[in-house]
Amino acid sequence: MLDLISATLTQGLIYALLSYGVYITYSVLDFPDLTVDSSFPLGAAVTTVLLIAGMNPWLTLVCATLAGAAAGLCTGLIHVRLGVRDLLAGIITMTALSSINLLIGGSNQTVDRATDTIFTAAPVMGLFGDLSLSARKLIVSLVLAVAVKLILDAYFRTKSGLLLRAVGDNGTLVTTLAKNKGNMKILGVVMANALVALCGGVLAQEQRSYSAVMGIGQVVFGLATVIIGVTIVRFFTSSKPAQGMRKIPVLRFLATPQGTTAVLLGSILYKFCIQIAINLGLPANMLKFITAVLFLLVLVLAGRKGEEIIHA
Amino acid sequence: MKKLNKNLLTAAMALTLGLSLTACGAPAEGGDSQEGGEPAIIGICQYGQHASLDNCREGFLQGLKEAGLVEGTDYEIHYENASFDDNMAIQISQSFSAEDAAMMVGIATPAATACYAAAEDKDIPVIFTAITDPVGAKLDSGNITGTSDVLPVEGQLKLIRALQPEAKTVGIIYTTSEANSLYSVEVYKDLAEQYGFTIDAIGVTAQSEVTQAVDTLINHKVDCLSNLTDNNVVGVLGSILEKTNAAGIPVYGSEIEQMKLGCVAGAGLEYVELGVQTGKMAARVLKGEATCQDIPYEVIENYSLYFNSMSLQELNIALPEEIAETAQDVANA
Amino acid sequence: MLEIRGLKKVYNPGTVTEMTLFDGFDLSVPDGQFVSIVGSNGSGKTSLLNIICGSIPMDGGDVEVDGKSLRKLKDFQRYGTIGRVYQNPSLGTAPNLTMLENLSLADNKGKSFGLTRGVNRKRMDFYRQELAGLGLGLEDKLDVKMGALSGGQRQAVALLMATLTPLQFLILDEHTAALDPRTAEAIMVLTGKLVREKQLTALMVTHNLRYAVEYGDRLLMLDRGKIALDRAGEEKAATTTDDILQIFGQISMQ
Repeated sequence: MLDLISATLTQGLIYALLSYGVYITYSVLDFPDLTVDSSFPLGAAVTTVLLIAGMNPWLTLVCATLAGAAAGLCTGLIHVRLGVRDLLAGIITMTALSSINLLIGGSNQTVDRATDTIFTAAPVMGLFGDLSLSARKLIVSLVLAVAVKLILDAYFRTKSGLLLRAVGDNGTLVTTLAKNKGNMKILGVVMANALVALCGGVLAQEQRSYSAVMGIGQVVFGLATVIIGVTIVRFFTSSKPAQGMRKIPVLRFLATPQGTTAVLLGSILYKFCIQIAINLGLPANMLKFITAVLFLLVLVLAGRKGEEIIHA
Repeated sequence: MKKLNKNLLTAAMALTLGLSLTACGAPAEGGDSQEGGEPAIIGICQYGQHASLDNCREGFLQGLKEAGLVEGTDYEIHYENASFDDNMAIQISQSFSAEDAAMMVGIATPAATACYAAAEDKDIPVIFTAITDPVGAKLDSGNITGTSDVLPVEGQLKLIRALQPEAKTVGIIYTTSEANSLYSVEVYKDLAEQYGFTIDAIGVTAQSEVTQAVDTLINHKVDCLSNLTDNNVVGVLGSILEKTNAAGIPVYGSEIEQMKLGCVAGAGLEYVELGVQTGKMAARVLKGEATCQDIPYEVIENYSLYFNSMSLQELNIALPEEIAETAQDVANA
Repeated sequence: MLEIRGLKKVYNPGTVTEMTLFDGFDLSVPDGQFVSIVGSNGSGKTSLLNIICGSIPMDGGDVEVDGKSLRKLKDFQRYGTIGRVYQNPSLGTAPNLTMLENLSLADNKGKSFGLTRGVNRKRMDFYRQELAGLGLGLEDKLDVKMGALSGGQRQAVALLMATLTPLQFLILDEHTAALDPRTAEAIMVLTGKLVREKQLTALMVTHNLRYAVEYGDRLLMLDRGKIALDRAGEEKAATTTDDILQIFGQISMQ
């Protein structure tokens, strides 16, 4: 049981990196970015190819992140500079990138067990070498997911971060503040796809494999985690204990979580829903159906409870 | 619904519990004890619902029995289907690892790589089947072995030559992101010259592009089309055949189901047999007679010829007698 | 000093609905002047503001501020020295940001938006003092999200934000039209006070003739892209709402 929880948690934490990216575009910028489906395998392709070539696993993640940023830059430039609609700009980059991914990594790549990944190389081995591999995977993904969350939270509080949030909130205001909102949009899409590609890279190291089709449906996953996370957090913050907690200064931050906390929880919850569906022991072909029912259940329960409290 | 609710709550509680426990750094101990009365758990992760993959699984179960193992006492099957979703395959494999499966079976490449990744920590043996290129997928060494389903390309080319002595160009449509297809196309290209063919291969990235590719091939005036086991292509076989029949171009299939749908003929792999062979390999590992490292992966070479007499008649193609004797007619089957 | 010379603006050129709004329009506004602009729908009031701010392109002529042409500047570049308050209160503030965050953004206008802290706590007293000046009790609501405030409150904050940094001029685009009469009155009083205190050059488009008469040192009436009335100083001070209504009537008769 503990193994399963730890493995599922690891998946949720790794995928939180992607969810943060989708959160930036979808929630903060109000930019429906479909680049994700291709920038995710891009990160994985870059990582596996470089790992196989013998590069330091942490360095491969830096390269994957930069590759994702470049993909985001394309989408951003196509939208802002060439005036193509946001949805279509993402589709164009996504389509072009799927060819680039095949060029970089072919249809699939596997990293053999002799090659070190971030989970088996320094400094993780030095610190947690005597733990099992799955425990190391959990620790590394936890550190990554929390670190990226804290960095994002800190960024959103900077001047640049405030401006980014204002772009999605009220573009006109940004213009009257004498700032080019187009540039801010590009920055946001770059950051988002950098995170998505980082996620692809980390997953490729965890799975020791890349496949050109691994990006299919990732946008949908990202959107689902953002929505589930936000719903759950809204439910939680509108509950009586949370309302009470808000009055206590030390606990206030717990009662008013950041959007990043919401998507982190959303990502973990999503992976748990799937794992529960797998373990319910129902007919194998019903997996997706059961997963969908679980999501609905979470949303309805959280949504209705939230309402009850608001109306009470 | 109530049961689901409860499970959900349990999961939520387990999540918090898990967080606090793992935070203490409690390592998950790998349990490889399957001795005594408890049957060994075999976790089967099948990439998706697909006639040939289903046949593989059926054959695998048959192979275990043929090797003398008894379900319920010797082993217990946990079967999951990933609906062609890589992430689903990952989580399924992890659930097998978590329940300390004695063996994981991956049917098709993404399922096998997911099993192999999940098996790493506890070094659980992994058996694969329905992988065309295990070397390319780097699944040819380590605690993993299985069977490969290389298409009987040579048999197919011989068959085409026998049915269409004048044919020059063979058209093939494949998905650029499917490793098995890429590999098979290369095999076709390597062998084509030997039988006097040239290959006109068109890559697509999605199922929606397949019918356009058919139009292109018809426009290139290919003499026939030959199918791989490419899911995107086979999935729209019906609409492919509509176009090719109108153009008078025969389509050759690569498994029995395709001939049933209207392909004129084809050399098809025996996926059940592939599964049986895999099951027997698995049984040796389970019995402790060998480890995966000891058993090299095996390539199945047996194939059968199938034809659809109605499709042949429609396109006025005569079936040579020596083929009619050995091949099986699947029309109206 | 704002100078508009030979302005030309044609809507839907080359179609059956082609309409020439401005054709050789001239206007100059000296520093420190508060100009009220009235006119019926389609007279070109809002188009004029949009052209000055670069929100819509012009087809001829030039707009100069202190002798420098704005022609080649994009809208966001022009806003470097222009403040603007819109008719729609939600356009002036970011609803999901707190009031403090909104004010901090406005306070930083003209400087770089880098990776330093977005909210400057040292400026909070200053913000509170400015908000107290609005007389709406907003000084205690710095941590409230803008979206939770009423339209009038948001418009007051928008007005404050637009005038927080030094400006060459302030554009008021029917900024009281979407508010109820009492709130509109309060916002107008506030506008007059801010313009006076900060000695701003301001262009105010309004539908409310009384505001046009009561506020500002100059009154313009536009009619189909031309200046139908231009009164400043003593002459403007002597103008009543009835006078304007009368002139309005004459124009519509034509």
